[in-house]
Amino acid sequence: MAEESVDVLIIGAGAAGAAFAWSLAETKMNILCLEQGDWMDPAQYPTAGLDWELRGLGDFALSPNTRGRPEDYPVNDSESPIAASMFNAVGGSTILYAGHFPRLHPSDFRVRTLDGVADDWPVDYAQLAPYYAENDRMMGVAGLAGDPAYPPKEVPLPPVPLGKLGERIASGFNSLGWHWWPSDSAIATREYEGRAPCINLGPCITGCAQGAKSSTDVTYWPAAQRRGVRIATRCRVREITVSADGMADGVIYYDVDGIEHRQRAEIVVVACNGIGTPRLLLNSRSQHFPDGLANRNGLVGKNLMFHPYGMVIGGFPERVDGYKGPTGCGVMSQQFYETDRARGFVRGYSFEMMRGMGPVSTALWGMMAGRLPWGEGHHAAYADVWARTGGVLAICEDLPEPHNRVTLDPTLTDSNGIPAPRIQYRLSENSRQMLEHGVARGVEVLEAAGAEWTRVESPLRVAGWHLMGTARMGTDPQRSVVNEWGRCHEVRNLFVIDGSIFVTAGAVNPTCTIQALALYIADTMKKKLANLFD
Amino acid sequence: MSQTNVVAGFSGDELRTLTCVLDLLIPPSGDGRMPGAGEVGIGARIDQLTQRDPGLRAVVAAGVAALDAHARAAGASVFAALAGDARLAALHEVAAAQPGFVPSLIFHTYAGYYQEGRVLQGLGLEARPPFPAGHQLDPFDAALLDPVRRRAKLYRDA
Repeated sequence: MAEESVDVLIIGAGAAGAAFAWSLAETKMNILCLEQGDWMDPAQYPTAGLDWELRGLGDFALSPNTRGRPEDYPVNDSESPIAASMFNAVGGSTILYAGHFPRLHPSDFRVRTLDGVADDWPVDYAQLAPYYAENDRMMGVAGLAGDPAYPPKEVPLPPVPLGKLGERIASGFNSLGWHWWPSDSAIATREYEGRAPCINLGPCITGCAQGAKSSTDVTYWPAAQRRGVRIATRCRVREITVSADGMADGVIYYDVDGIEHRQRAEIVVVACNGIGTPRLLLNSRSQHFPDGLANRNGLVGKNLMFHPYGMVIGGFPERVDGYKGPTGCGVMSQQFYETDRARGFVRGYSFEMMRGMGPVSTALWGMMAGRLPWGEGHHAAYADVWARTGGVLAICEDLPEPHNRVTLDPTLTDSNGIPAPRIQYRLSENSRQMLEHGVARGVEVLEAAGAEWTRVESPLRVAGWHLMGTARMGTDPQRSVVNEWGRCHEVRNLFVIDGSIFVTAGAVNPTCTIQALALYIADTMKKKLANLFD
Repeated sequence: MSQTNVVAGFSGDELRTLTCVLDLLIPPSGDGRMPGAGEVGIGARIDQLTQRDPGLRAVVAAGVAALDAHARAAGASVFAALAGDARLAALHEVAAAQPGFVPSLIFHTYAGYYQEGRVLQGLGLEARPPFPAGHQLDPFDAALLDPVRRRAKLYRDA
């Protein structure tokens, strides 16, 4: 069945798709977004029930392989020490993200020039700054101006509260003379644009029942729809098709009943995350592109970057009630962000405070860590950990390496028979050195904060939630997939706007940069509409 | 992992044995603040879980059967009829002979126990989910940042 052609077809309703759609809607073009997931119902989020913690290990788990929801696709990540995670819905992975929202640094856009590794981006911080600011306003970002780790910037909303745990950890940083600052957080800390303020539920990463966390289903999408953008849900795109002249001319997708449809479009915009996007492009083979769409130079899927995470949990001598407050937002530190070769590695990492666990998670973690015996000593051992733990995560910059890649699995498919992605990834020696340094400093800061014991898990397998680099941007068509405003070198009406286009990863959560780029690309397209395909 | 096969539940005697085991895994606290895991009904929860998980069912049933057999060998009719110390000794013996029994129970016992209202209250919490009441926290205290504000610029220009 073929639908009427649209001007712009966006594939994916996550962070990038939403921001882009809202911005481009200003043109009054006929814009349709196809999303394989659906609208989420906040009333169904786990935090409304007593079984909220177990649901975070089940139908709201981070990994699609664990969740197995109808809209999930499997990922073969057996050849990676880091397991990929993403979520398919209107809002995409912003439904489950923690909302930790720092920007990249100016130096992150000039890695080759400054540090002699990787590449420079074809854009810079100054070009993205107004889009970062616009995105902060649209999403509703909490934090505090004046951070010496960044060029001056304003923040719309006051910082999230730290609680006892955050104040302890901040004191640890202060006693060591290390940088810290209240996290830039995509969380409404007071009523904002009709959204209720955060009530410190705790588990942001199973969806925000309050609506305070700034996922794009409650921020950009309602505004985009008011501007006339249409979203069709439960539409899983199988492939992007090309016409005889090698231009993208639409997609083939399956609806919720598995019926195949054809949607034609003048412009196709891919926003499927750093694993979904290369998967779609590689699945879009044709006579013009036998190795996958826009992949004549063989770069689609290569240079996959995660952020290797090192986790340090500390136990404190009294209650710090870390289960209260946004789970991943509180204190951030960029003390070790910029390169210092004396450390034994190049580039750096940031710290993100991790709040404590709920009662069930405390028990299960205690069991796994060997700190919670059964029997007579159980209650005393539990009392030693309950509401007394918290930690820091070292978020390490991953350098782009072509052997870290996304390809198509030869046998694994999704429920529509579309080949699933296969990840092949290994940590570099630079990453290993960085992780070692990061967890050692993490132990140091938690001990300075008063922790009596610490436990390290590094690299953190579940932390494959930042997906970057697999359709990188650049000015050289031989060394990049898209140009400096997201247009594919090989297909001039095909755009990629998600984290796939990152040249380097930086050492912070990528979502606000993904969205700033999406807004920048939309704005550039608006300026170039008359000769968009030149 | 979803299971489509549903098997019959434990018998009354099996549930009584299981309840005793659960009260050994997490016993009532000496100060009366925290109940035992059997006392708060985790047995019924595990019974329901095992009806949809034949693998778990087999492991738990085998352990329960072994404990009852142990009790009969000691002259008691069922495991529940043994004295407290004897029950614990029997559980250790069966756990050694069937290494999967206790670990299989522990996860589900801990997970179920720490959702129970009485347990949450014993921890000083309200017996409710996080939403819609949330939690109160004091606002951010900017004075904590005084040492950081005195620092020089931390980022590199590019």
